[in-house]
Amino acid sequence: MAPEPPGGPPVLALRQATVAYEREPVVEGVDGEVAAGQSVALIGPNGAGKSTLIRAVLGLVPLTGGTIQVLGRAPQAARRQVAYVPQADTLDAEFPVSALQVVLMGRYPRIGWVRRPGTADRQAAASALAQVGLAERASARFGTLSGGQRQRVLLARAIAQEPRLLLLDEPFNGVDALSQDLLLTAMGRLRSAGAAVVMATHDLGLAHLACDEVCLLNRHQIGFGPIGTTLTPELLRATYGGQALQLRGDGVIVARP
Amino acid sequence: MSLLEVFGDSFARRALLEAVMVGGLCGAVGVHVLLRRLPFFTMALGHATFPGVVLAALLGISLFAGAAAFGAVVVVVVALLGARDRVDDTSAVGVTLSGAFALGVLLLSAQAGFSRDLTAYLVGSIITVQVGDLVTTALVGAAVLAALAALHKELVLGAFDRGGLAALGYPVLALDVVLLLLIEATVVTSIPAVGTILAVALIVAPAATARLWTERLRATMALAAVLGATSGVVGLAISLQWRVAAGATIVLVAAALFAVSLVVAPRHGLLARRPAALVPVAATTTAAGQGPTRAG
Amino acid sequence: MNLFEPFSIPYMQRALAEVLVLGALAGAVGVLVVLRRLAFVGDALTHTVFPGVVIAHLLGRSLMAGALAFGVLTAVLLTGLGSHRRVGDDAALAILLTSFFSLGVVLISRTRGFTADLTVFLFGRVLAIDRTDLVQTLVVAAVVALVLAVLHKELVLRAFDPEAAAAMGYRTRRLDLVLNLLIALVVVAAVEAVGTVLVIALIVVPAAAARLLADRVAAMTALACLLGAAGGWLGLAISYEVSVDHDLRLAAGATIVVVLVGLFLVAAAVAPLRRRLARDRVPAVAP
Repeated sequence: MAPEPPGGPPVLALRQATVAYEREPVVEGVDGEVAAGQSVALIGPNGAGKSTLIRAVLGLVPLTGGTIQVLGRAPQAARRQVAYVPQADTLDAEFPVSALQVVLMGRYPRIGWVRRPGTADRQAAASALAQVGLAERASARFGTLSGGQRQRVLLARAIAQEPRLLLLDEPFNGVDALSQDLLLTAMGRLRSAGAAVVMATHDLGLAHLACDEVCLLNRHQIGFGPIGTTLTPELLRATYGGQALQLRGDGVIVARP
Repeated sequence: MSLLEVFGDSFARRALLEAVMVGGLCGAVGVHVLLRRLPFFTMALGHATFPGVVLAALLGISLFAGAAAFGAVVVVVVALLGARDRVDDTSAVGVTLSGAFALGVLLLSAQAGFSRDLTAYLVGSIITVQVGDLVTTALVGAAVLAALAALHKELVLGAFDRGGLAALGYPVLALDVVLLLLIEATVVTSIPAVGTILAVALIVAPAATARLWTERLRATMALAAVLGATSGVVGLAISLQWRVAAGATIVLVAAALFAVSLVVAPRHGLLARRPAALVPVAATTTAAGQGPTRAG
Repeated sequence: MNLFEPFSIPYMQRALAEVLVLGALAGAVGVLVVLRRLAFVGDALTHTVFPGVVIAHLLGRSLMAGALAFGVLTAVLLTGLGSHRRVGDDAALAILLTSFFSLGVVLISRTRGFTADLTVFLFGRVLAIDRTDLVQTLVVAAVVALVLAVLHKELVLRAFDPEAAAAMGYRTRRLDLVLNLLIALVVVAAVEAVGTVLVIALIVVPAAAARLLADRVAAMTALACLLGAAGGWLGLAISYEVSVDHDLRLAAGATIVVVLVGLFLVAAAVAPLRRRLARDRVPAVAP
């Protein structure tokens, strides 16, 4: 179990959260907390419920059991403080938007209806782009960037939102090494600023680098705790249904679900 | 007015025969359209067939030849356009169909008797079918049904498992094209009865209705053919009685049969589905295909 | 061929005003339709708005009013169905659309002059546009333009990244409903001029052409409006000139559509050249 946070409600609190679809549980029994500045990796094979859980935290799918609280409130009430980074390849690469325009989208919840982005918003967007190392590509069309660069733009969009909770869905998939580094650095900066991070991934090596806690999922929670004590061969085997995994010192074989 | 009286005139009897044949053919073909998830493609095909038919009529050549040729051109154009950057499939179809349709209207508008002919092509004019049309319908219908029967197992396998079909050494693409041509032939054959815009309804509705009542494929095809023919007869009778457009009435009857079946059918109807909520769900059921859009 | 002379005649002037406004209006809305690959919604509307037009005609009311009622109904229906659409529902949707259309055909077929009326409803009669029609079109255009201006950034966000939009708290269903209603309004505005079948071309073709040439939504919108208006003007002029000079009657609405498709093909031919030029200008930059 995670240690009690220093003060105030945890950024994210899950208590026996269960999501079902047409009476069939998709993910159940998720229980744990994430404090400000902490980072949790959601680990599990495909179909384990990682994406569903993220959507539940976003308030996009209803819970059929248990509770989820974001900053002490229901997920729907806390959306302005929560930023979501999807996988870049889900987006239309031919869409006529520039990188800067994509990042500006992160400011929309602040800007509200009808109004257009102002100077402060543009500055925040430019600064966020700089943090991911893409300041010179601000006016490039989003689709002309590489996969890793696009993922960085999406993270910049989340940074521009100035969130308290950051949710990422497989952020390192198909991303080049340089982009991975820049993503990790930017996420680190967000954490130092007090944001909590939840990241679905099946890259165990990057989970070690980026996160201090891990939540093991395979349609139900198998473990939730500090990465050193929870990411063990036995629990990993339980998560991945018996596929043999070997942890040799620092080297990790990424499980292929 | 009794059914015999309604169909007393020779034109009505010819229309009746046409309705039965077209309805039956469409029903059988419709099952394949549903298997391969082609209702919208068939709709588009109907729209695309229109200018081909107009052109063929103007040039005095066989409607089938004109429709087939034009249909092939449309398919190629859509494929070429859709393959280009920044032209997605729906836009490619939208642009091609708009152009083709407008072309058909233009060709027709240059002639006299524009409205009457246009309407006949778009929504059918079954009461003006001649014996020659009946013969054509019978021959084409028989040919299409024979082809469907001969290729039945290959077409069904191809619908479910293209990879499997290819692995067995069948020419998957060629079979696809054959089916598309059969659908196209069916659409063209339906024009005198229901026109190009409504052809898709007569193809899809009876088959969709049949699917609600039975799961066995051959039974579905037989039932669909019967439902199609029935829709034709009943629709025609109503239209003659009330003096309204026949093709549209046939379609409404077919749609009504579908709507009723949607509600009352024993296993798949809406009324029947509710008790499923009471069935206990096993904890380790694997996620069905209809689960949340992004599982994992 | 003189592309300006036909417009010295009053009815041609009104027709021109109508197609210029419609072209721009449809182009603007078309941008979102094309970016979201919604051409199907437009097609659905052509089938479902039609009975509204027929009923209005039979009741002696404004065609636009009938189209509006059924257009709104369709927009709501499609928004509701849209989010639950599984592939198996395509059949139900196709049946629904054709049933609506058949209803319209059955109703109109009871009247005399059935085929002429049908033709008018399906393909419009732009040369018969009067002042009232023009005013109505302008009102609709103003409403649509206002909504587009106010909701622009949200509609674009939803088109680009619906998941992020939902995550930020936007109700994507409501945004979808708004767009479907806007599309319905364009169909309503176009009913008298180009009819329910051809209006889809006005919505999809200019925007599809603009997409090939523009790298920003703003540019795409401007270009789509321009192309839509240009197609209207050229189509009208050409159909007039050909009908008068060569005694070959060309339906105005259909001519406009053919011109638009021609413009699209030009754009499709030019686009790769433009790409190559643009590529030469962008310097190679380190990631």
